Amino acid sequence: MKKKLSRSIYWPTVLVSFLALLSACEKTVTVKLPEVEQLLVVEGYVETGERPYVILSRSLDYFGTLNLNTVTQNTVQGALVTINDGFVTDTLIQVPGFGVYFSNRLTGIPGRTYQLTIQAEGKILSSSTYLSAPIPLDSVWWKVDGRRDSLGFAWAHLTDPDTLGNCYRWFAKRINQYTYGKNIGEQKDSIFIAPLGSVFEDRFINGQSFDFNVVRGKTYNSNKEDDLKEENFFFKRGDTIVVKFCSIDRSCFDFWRGEETQVSNNGNPFGSVSPIYGNIKGGLGVWCAYSTSFDTIYAQ
Amino acid sequence: MSQTTKMFTISGYVKEKATGESLPGAAIFIKEVSKGTTTNSYGFYSITLPEANYTVLYSFIGFLTDVQPINLQKDVRLNISLSTKAVETKEVVISAEREDKNIESVQMGRESIDVEKLKSLPAFMGEVDILKAIQLLPGVSSAGEGNSGFYVRGGGPDQNLILLDEANVYNAAHLFGFFSVFNADAIQNVTLTKGGMPANYGGRLASVLDIQMKEGNNQKLSVEGGLGVVSSRLTVQGPIKKDTSSFIVSARRTFIDLFFKPPFTPKSSDLYGNSYYFYDINAKLNYTFSDKDRLFISGYFGRDVFSFQSTNSDFGIRVPWGNATATARWNHLFSDKLFMNTSLIFTNYDFQFEGGAETFRFKLFSGITDYNVKSDFTWLPNVRHNVKFGGQYIYHVFVPSNASAQSGDVVFDLGEVIRNYANDVAVYINDEFDLTDKWRISGGLRGTVFQQVGPFDRYLHDPLNGAINDTVHYDKGDNVKTYAHIEPRLAIRYAINNRSSLKASYTQNYQYIHLASLSSISLPTDVWVPSTDLVKPQFGTQYALGYFRNFKSNTYETSVEVYYKTMENQVEYQDGFLPENTVNDNVDNNFVFGSGRSYGAEFFIKKSSGKFNGWIGYTLAWTERTFPDLNNGETFYAKFDRRHDISIVATYNISTRWTIGATWVYATGNLNTFPERLYVLSNGHVLEDYGGQRNNYRLPAYHRLDVSATLNGRPNKKFDSSWNFSIFNVYNRYNPFIIYFDTSYQDNTVTIAARQISLFPIIPSVTWNFKF
Repeated sequence: MKKKLSRSIYWPTVLVSFLALLSACEKTVTVKLPEVEQLLVVEGYVETGERPYVILSRSLDYFGTLNLNTVTQNTVQGALVTINDGFVTDTLIQVPGFGVYFSNRLTGIPGRTYQLTIQAEGKILSSSTYLSAPIPLDSVWWKVDGRRDSLGFAWAHLTDPDTLGNCYRWFAKRINQYTYGKNIGEQKDSIFIAPLGSVFEDRFINGQSFDFNVVRGKTYNSNKEDDLKEENFFFKRGDTIVVKFCSIDRSCFDFWRGEETQVSNNGNPFGSVSPIYGNIKGGLGVWCAYSTSFDTIYAQ
Repeated sequence: MSQTTKMFTISGYVKEKATGESLPGAAIFIKEVSKGTTTNSYGFYSITLPEANYTVLYSFIGFLTDVQPINLQKDVRLNISLSTKAVETKEVVISAEREDKNIESVQMGRESIDVEKLKSLPAFMGEVDILKAIQLLPGVSSAGEGNSGFYVRGGGPDQNLILLDEANVYNAAHLFGFFSVFNADAIQNVTLTKGGMPANYGGRLASVLDIQMKEGNNQKLSVEGGLGVVSSRLTVQGPIKKDTSSFIVSARRTFIDLFFKPPFTPKSSDLYGNSYYFYDINAKLNYTFSDKDRLFISGYFGRDVFSFQSTNSDFGIRVPWGNATATARWNHLFSDKLFMNTSLIFTNYDFQFEGGAETFRFKLFSGITDYNVKSDFTWLPNVRHNVKFGGQYIYHVFVPSNASAQSGDVVFDLGEVIRNYANDVAVYINDEFDLTDKWRISGGLRGTVFQQVGPFDRYLHDPLNGAINDTVHYDKGDNVKTYAHIEPRLAIRYAINNRSSLKASYTQNYQYIHLASLSSISLPTDVWVPSTDLVKPQFGTQYALGYFRNFKSNTYETSVEVYYKTMENQVEYQDGFLPENTVNDNVDNNFVFGSGRSYGAEFFIKKSSGKFNGWIGYTLAWTERTFPDLNNGETFYAKFDRRHDISIVATYNISTRWTIGATWVYATGNLNTFPERLYVLSNGHVLEDYGGQRNNYRLPAYHRLDVSATLNGRPNKKFDSSWNFSIFNVYNRYNPFIIYFDTSYQDNTVTIAARQISLFPIIPSVTWNFKF
């Protein structure tokens, strides 16, 4: 519901629809951007009860070729990555061949602050994130949407604590198998997926107890049947949905809010400049603690 | 002047003969002493001279000069009616004394626009547009197509004071800026002041655009109107009582919305349910009680309404916005040397955005309302002095962005409606006087007080996590913050000879209201906010120097002006601001503050008589901004920093019936903020990094040629009609309106393309006008 509100009042869409009625003309042009240096990009997580991990890569040229090859070539090998949780400092171990580093000694424990330090390619990067106490959902369910017979959104009831400044992120994963279509027999989702609008804060809802609904997310550029046709955005009767609901800190919220704004603004000519504010000193990206709580919905 | 010489005053009003309209800015010239004056904005003049015989010339551009011999032995009241040159007369015209106001006057950085002359210039889609016309003057840059905002000498669009019969017009745009709200049929006179602002104007840093509505023909009833591609117009004016009182009502409406209804658009079409229209109405009444007292009542009301209905769902929106103004003015002559005007003014700008689907409704609204009372005096003690003094009080009510939403019976908490209230007081005195024959000085002081008053809630943020953690409440009438300032104004003219002069000016201005603009283009959603406890008043200084020279008996007017300006307390939204951040928060909590600087040179050559008329303006300019919280604190060029700006405007009377016109404009491209690099997350999203460099890319230059031809009806017919044919963008230049980046994904490779949108290709239009 929040999502619907904030995105619908996006004024420029009105202008776009109006200009479409005018004789606007559009063409591809060449833009020469200033030369800039490559920056290191961090994507790291620490989740309750899980081992922290970090993915390290380099930024890419704006108009350069971008495919799996270039992305792989720009992962960073041989970096010195350490995490301190207030008690122990652990040096992370690299998964050979990829820019992925994970901790063997640490797990996420609520109430701890995780300090990240990276030395790579002559640069030093740092960040910290706080793993707060979990704020679980009171209940979760699935409901048929309007006049449809077997499609609907996930619903949840949340009681937000009185203190202002709580931030949340929602993930979901369908663990049942396709019983139809070309992916028959396959588990519907292999990972937890955050839909657009997955992050929210308690600015509008502080201290309230309320229902909200969430659409089904999909993996990037998915061409699965249910991500393209009428099932797109919906959960289906018969789905078993595991919900991972996370409390996150403010800097993590700012990053994901910025990320979602930019992703949804892409290709909108009237979208304002939407920079993303990461929490990595000396580089780009995010170091984010997820204080998780899990629920399961049987869509009946 | 010896003490024994008796002094007498010649005073009166100058009017247009055919309609009885006052002629503000008409020149009165005393041949024997080579001195003169001009009428004020109500057409009143007064000049005090020693007892003698004089020849007085009354002249105004486009009118026959009237010559009156006066034997000045007592005070003389003389009302003059001037005839237009088009009217056949047998009078002998003395043409030796042409207009040389631009040389003579101390004022620099000021231009008047003759609305009637505009009508023979090319008009975009046939709509004669005053705001578009002033953008053809040097020092004034257009914000671009689809944008009515204009930039004067590097100042922002909010730094222009736009007055319609003294009422502030906060949003002068129809249709997202494609047309201005001023209906040329209802406008008598337009004056733009971009530098050397005298003390009687204030409240804005960059310019004053003073627009006066016609008073209404007090001689005979007349009807005029027109049919264009975009809108239709109708104006009715006439005497209520001949020579004493008159009225004018002028209305305009677009009709493109009719094409989105059956039979043009069937109900099954995707376009059905879309609609857009605007209309505006100008009305004015005046009553002359006596030579000493005159009353004017005028008003403007205009609305734009956009609506959209999705054909695939029941999602729909409706967006109405517009201005309303009302002005009551009383002119009173205390003596033939002391003129007063007192005005009561109301002005309102209102924007709404309503929408929803099924049971879900939301509404967004913002606006501003002013209640204003002011008194202005003109005192003309003798031929050397022109003293203006007065004061005004405005009560402002600001409604920055507010929202409400509900789903069924559940009302969302989108916060209290936040309003800001303010008292705004100004007093001024200005004296323009001749020190010697060569030196004229205009010096003034303006004192301003601005007070933000309650009720008001200031939300305080936790500096660590940014969340709101406290509120300071002010009750109704409580002082939140008071600012008081003195603004000195000085202008000097040195007459080199009667063909050339040097001028210099220094002005200081404070501005107590601010426009916060979210998008890269001006939209009706831009909100006005007052100076508050947090937002300090904008403060500007301007130094200007000019050389003015006329050639060939004033046939050609030329000038060169250079300026240097500083601007303090400029506002921008902080990086990463989202509109929903203003819910349950003060909008100014999202601002960052900085300063600006601009400098440049303006070259102007103008010919305003003969068959061939027109001007060439060239501006070379720089404008910069420095914000500690933007661009890593480094100075950056403003978005509308234009190195070169050229306008060429020409009209030619081929015959009594045919006039052709052309305009060509060239402007350096605007600056944009473009991303510098990409990065990829494990969820597959490709993200852009802006690297904090503001305005790092300049768009291609803007240039365009428009031409027009006007066919006037045969003269002296009862029913007069004319045709205007215009071609906009003759050589079909695709000027960049916006460049955006489109990401596409194919064969496992992501490619990014820069796409340029241009708004208007070549567009012909035709307008038919009539008058009887």
